[in-house]
Amino acid sequence: MKVTVGVDVGGTFTDVVLVDSAGAIHASKVVTTPGDPREGVRRGVEVALAAAGLAGGVVERFVHGTTLATNVLLERAGARTAFVTTQGFGDLLRLGRAMRVGEARYDLLFAPSVPPVDDAMTFEVRERCTATGAVHAALEPDHIDEVVAGIVACKPEAVAICFLHAYANPAHEHAFADACRVAMPGVFVVSSADTWPEMREYERATTALACAYVGPVMASYLEGLQVMLRDIGVVCPVQIMDSSGGVLSAALAARRPVATIESGGAAGVMAAGFVGRLLGERDVLSFDMGGTTAKTAVVRGGEPTLTFDFRVGGHASTGDRRDDGLVVKTPVVDLAEIGAGGGSLAWVDRGGALQVGPRSAGAVPGPACYGRGGTQPTVTDANLVLGYLRAGELSDGVVLSTELAAAAIDEHVAGPLGLATVDAARAMHDIVNNNMVAAIRMVTIQRGIDPRDFVLVGFGGAGPIHLVRLAEAFGIARVVVPWAAGVASALGLVAADPSVIEIHAHLVAADSADPERLTEIFDGLAARAVVSLDAGAAHITMQRVIEARYPGQVHQLAVEVPAGVLTRADIDAAVARFHARYLETYGIDMRAPVQFVTYRLRAVVPVDKPEPLRDRPAPYGPSPVGTRDVFFVENGQHRPVSQYRWENLRPGASIAHPAIIEGAATSIVVPPGWAVMLDTMRNVLISPLPACTPDSDRR
Amino acid sequence: MEAVDAVTAEVVRNALSMAAQEGGIVVVKASHSTFIQEGADSSAAVLDARARLVAQSTATTLMHAASLRESLRALLVEIPLDTMHPGDVFAQNDPFKGGIHANDVAVLRPVFAGDGSGPHYFAGTIIHVADLGGGYAGGVAATAQDMFAEGMNLPPVHLYRAGEPEAVVWKIIENNSRTPEKVIGDIRALVSGANVIARRVGELVERYGIVGLAEHVEGYLTYTESRMREELRRFPAGTYHGGFTIDSDGIEADKTHDVRVTVTLPGDGSIHLDFTGTDAQAKGAINASYSQALSGVLFAVRCFLDPSIPMNEGCYTPLGVTFPRGSLVNPHPPAACGGRIVVVTAAMEAIVEALSAARPDMALASSGIVHLYAMSGVRTGATSPWLVMAMDFGGLGARATCDGPDATGAFVLGGRTAVLQVEPYEAQYPVMIEHTRPRIDSGGPGEQRGGLGIDTAIRLVDAAELVVRGDRMVLPPPGRAGGESGGAGFWRIERAGGHVDELAHRQSHVRLGAGDVFHIGTSGGGGLGDPFARDPEAVARDVRERRVSRTAARDAYGVVLDYEGVVDSPATVQLRGAR
Repeated sequence: MKVTVGVDVGGTFTDVVLVDSAGAIHASKVVTTPGDPREGVRRGVEVALAAAGLAGGVVERFVHGTTLATNVLLERAGARTAFVTTQGFGDLLRLGRAMRVGEARYDLLFAPSVPPVDDAMTFEVRERCTATGAVHAALEPDHIDEVVAGIVACKPEAVAICFLHAYANPAHEHAFADACRVAMPGVFVVSSADTWPEMREYERATTALACAYVGPVMASYLEGLQVMLRDIGVVCPVQIMDSSGGVLSAALAARRPVATIESGGAAGVMAAGFVGRLLGERDVLSFDMGGTTAKTAVVRGGEPTLTFDFRVGGHASTGDRRDDGLVVKTPVVDLAEIGAGGGSLAWVDRGGALQVGPRSAGAVPGPACYGRGGTQPTVTDANLVLGYLRAGELSDGVVLSTELAAAAIDEHVAGPLGLATVDAARAMHDIVNNNMVAAIRMVTIQRGIDPRDFVLVGFGGAGPIHLVRLAEAFGIARVVVPWAAGVASALGLVAADPSVIEIHAHLVAADSADPERLTEIFDGLAARAVVSLDAGAAHITMQRVIEARYPGQVHQLAVEVPAGVLTRADIDAAVARFHARYLETYGIDMRAPVQFVTYRLRAVVPVDKPEPLRDRPAPYGPSPVGTRDVFFVENGQHRPVSQYRWENLRPGASIAHPAIIEGAATSIVVPPGWAVMLDTMRNVLISPLPACTPDSDRR
Repeated sequence: MEAVDAVTAEVVRNALSMAAQEGGIVVVKASHSTFIQEGADSSAAVLDARARLVAQSTATTLMHAASLRESLRALLVEIPLDTMHPGDVFAQNDPFKGGIHANDVAVLRPVFAGDGSGPHYFAGTIIHVADLGGGYAGGVAATAQDMFAEGMNLPPVHLYRAGEPEAVVWKIIENNSRTPEKVIGDIRALVSGANVIARRVGELVERYGIVGLAEHVEGYLTYTESRMREELRRFPAGTYHGGFTIDSDGIEADKTHDVRVTVTLPGDGSIHLDFTGTDAQAKGAINASYSQALSGVLFAVRCFLDPSIPMNEGCYTPLGVTFPRGSLVNPHPPAACGGRIVVVTAAMEAIVEALSAARPDMALASSGIVHLYAMSGVRTGATSPWLVMAMDFGGLGARATCDGPDATGAFVLGGRTAVLQVEPYEAQYPVMIEHTRPRIDSGGPGEQRGGLGIDTAIRLVDAAELVVRGDRMVLPPPGRAGGESGGAGFWRIERAGGHVDELAHRQSHVRLGAGDVFHIGTSGGGGLGDPFARDPEAVARDVRERRVSRTAARDAYGVVLDYEGVVDSPATVQLRGAR
């Protein structure tokens, strides 16, 4: 067993998990350094190494989760980028395709989102291919030179190229990219066909643009990180978590920076999947609640569900549409993210309705109870008033004051609504729970998935406070708070495998699809994946998928195809699976002809997963460290509830309800009617009372 | 325990909205037309047994949601509540019974309680379905002169009776379509969506009880109404006038059509909109059926209120409307209504003019309009025809505090962009797009500039037949408060031989040959305020971004730029002073 380090940089805290050769988990949590996040990374790693009593040299694997790509796009802090496209379409980014949904429809003062490229840095090129890939107008060498000269004069740091139908024939893009690379050595050049070879020029162009815009920043960040780590003795190559739950080499992450756009969110989902695997559960529901957002996702059969459409800076998703933000096409863990976190603000709207989130108090000024200048009540304030959080020191010098929390709630919620403080706090707590229930609905019931079939795994600073009430809302009977819940995302990093997804577009009627051609396409993708992974002779597993649709429809569904040389029978089986999946998804049996649109290959290099220490469980009833007054709706008032320290509990501990279990960076709230067991790895297993069984730590 | 009630109320409100949302997604994904899949012309809603709108999907087209509400009213007249049974599903499209035009088919399903009582609620879905007969394939009946030419008329009928399909109705629909599989597929998609909504609402009835849920619904509607009234009370009381002139109905070439409105704000939180003075219904298909005129009224009013107010019956309650019978906004049968966007947006513009006078701080100039067209043909060597319906949008008028965005659907269809992308367009149809670009100088000059219209050029690879529907081609969108008009729109064909044909607003059966280039030019939004008062730096930026030409910078804005595009301040001051 190797020593592996996972570092997840969040908005407020940088979490580090170190798994040593014996399987022991050491964690550290330090404040994020927004100016240069690498400072926080370095400090966190040093603290974790010290805790483990190890030197940097023993680290054999280093996996990093970062929000750099998203931040660069949101803050418009990317490279000076030129955008090159087919003549006649230089305005394609500017015209955009914004969907206006929900409230935004009635807002005539809206500002259309502006792509991060200057109009003067947009170039049109005389060339044209058709949808079949045929060249309609050749790309003349003289013309290339002329346009490239213009680009050079603008002194770009990056160039994004998107020609029409380049997914069908990338030759023109490649020729132009080559010319750019020759004329401007050191400038990062991106071809849309290499980034996301799918039909639909707008999404392909924004994806290529995002890639070019972020790439140089990502490259220099990672280069500097590697140097900084070497200073503290960590010499192994840095790997980056991508948005699909795989791990990329630093070099590949710099070439495909958009692949890291939901790096942090994916890390959490991978953590939930990892915990599920350790418990012998393949279907888990991941719930991650931090300071500003709550994220939830489904892991089925041990794998997260993926989506291929992401919007940077859009509003929270409603159903499956987001209305704005920059479109980035890349495999992303299909998670619902809503503005519901500990820092979410509560207020009473003009119609007298209580609202919670999505606005957040953030790290500054923070919740009112922090006493750092925040006066608006937050979810954390409500949780403190209800007794779910402990008054006094939280961590890193933050001291929670119940008086400040109550004052803020009185002024802004209880007063205007004519409620008692505790009822107002309870309403805030319940409303934020309700919003999170809606998020869980989006990824389960709305997709036809019954959440009761899943184990709910909850973590993040605020997650374990709300978790059990969410389980109640759906009738979920198995709830787990993993050991190190406060830094669980970092745990997901060390449990993820290096992997890439490669895609190819080729529109063909399934009836006339040539098995030999399809085999060739998948072999080509496999060859590309091997290069991307740079895995040498390591064992690589590959999964092949075809995205298919009925002609005339635009919504596609993915169907698996087997490995090896494809036959007509394989294609017919894929078509049959498509019909079945369509019926399952839309409830209509179409049985029409089918088109194949894109071909996708996921290649994974399985690595050894950390094996956490397991102690033999010895059933016992631990003594509480004390009691505090906690409000539960079942009691209708504050009553004394037993408190436990998680770090003092041993495997086999079983705790009577209700209870509060205090961890290093979180607090687990166990309402009446639920029972708690600690498993061999000190994960907290929570289940409804009658159903609680002593052997729930099954493998 | 008031807090508990507040929380449950919030839960129920979200659940009702999510039910509509979920149904809407099912319809869109299962439908067969690209137009719907790209997000246009579709809606899903929950209504109660009194035909009040309870909740609608957020990704909805407002115009269509209003139609579901009016269609249910008509349904209840013809098929009374006490004759309905669990498992019944109804369909209808009659524009004079709440509908829009033939192709917009509404499906309504009653929701019963577990004890068999009801109906208590209705689930509704509506989309523009595939071909439903009439004189024009696909339903863009640009030059229809009555409803019969627009396609088959469906009064409220059973699609299912107690769970059993009403086979003869399905057969009639099938037999009246040029694309029977597609239209049946679309209607099935509508039923699937309505079924999902009905199931969700049924679950809520079970969970909260008939009375319990009704109380929550009442609370939701009352809450919405109180917010509407509070916002409306912020307007200075008074009577305001507005009007808008439409170029043409496509039939009587030289005749314009006026929509007039008198808006009265008594100051008590209500608003009355009287369209007396509006011209008589047109021969051409621009008339807005009652539900559509009403949807335009509500959308225009809401654009001046807090956008976060929910959308339900509570929005309608403070509104009083007078739509004169036989006018453009409430025609008698058998008026043709398919191109109602022209009259609906004219009604919206009239209201915007009136409300801009009431609240100059929220003023908005007139906007460009959508240009909608359909092309069809049979590819050389193929047997089955192809047909595409598509649109391009005009620019939004300048706002009191900012410029109008370019080519956006924000002012039509309740804010939806559904422009086809070049690649899927070319992959499916025998066309090659030559360019899509904003039309320089088409944004109306003003202190705040109007948004630009768009220019798209489509080269035909094969012969085709074209139908077009547009407006603002003779009378461009006017400016406001000293701002100037935006650029007028056009339809143009550059023949392969070099000859250029300018098309009229609404034309059908236009023949296109291989090599012809079809140009779509949408109108730009009007400007707001004196263009000579515009910040010269903003004008310089517009020139840099090719929104304004150097000539227009000088002539329309009085801004002189040097060779590098930098503002020549002394020359600008001199030029502006000399006016």
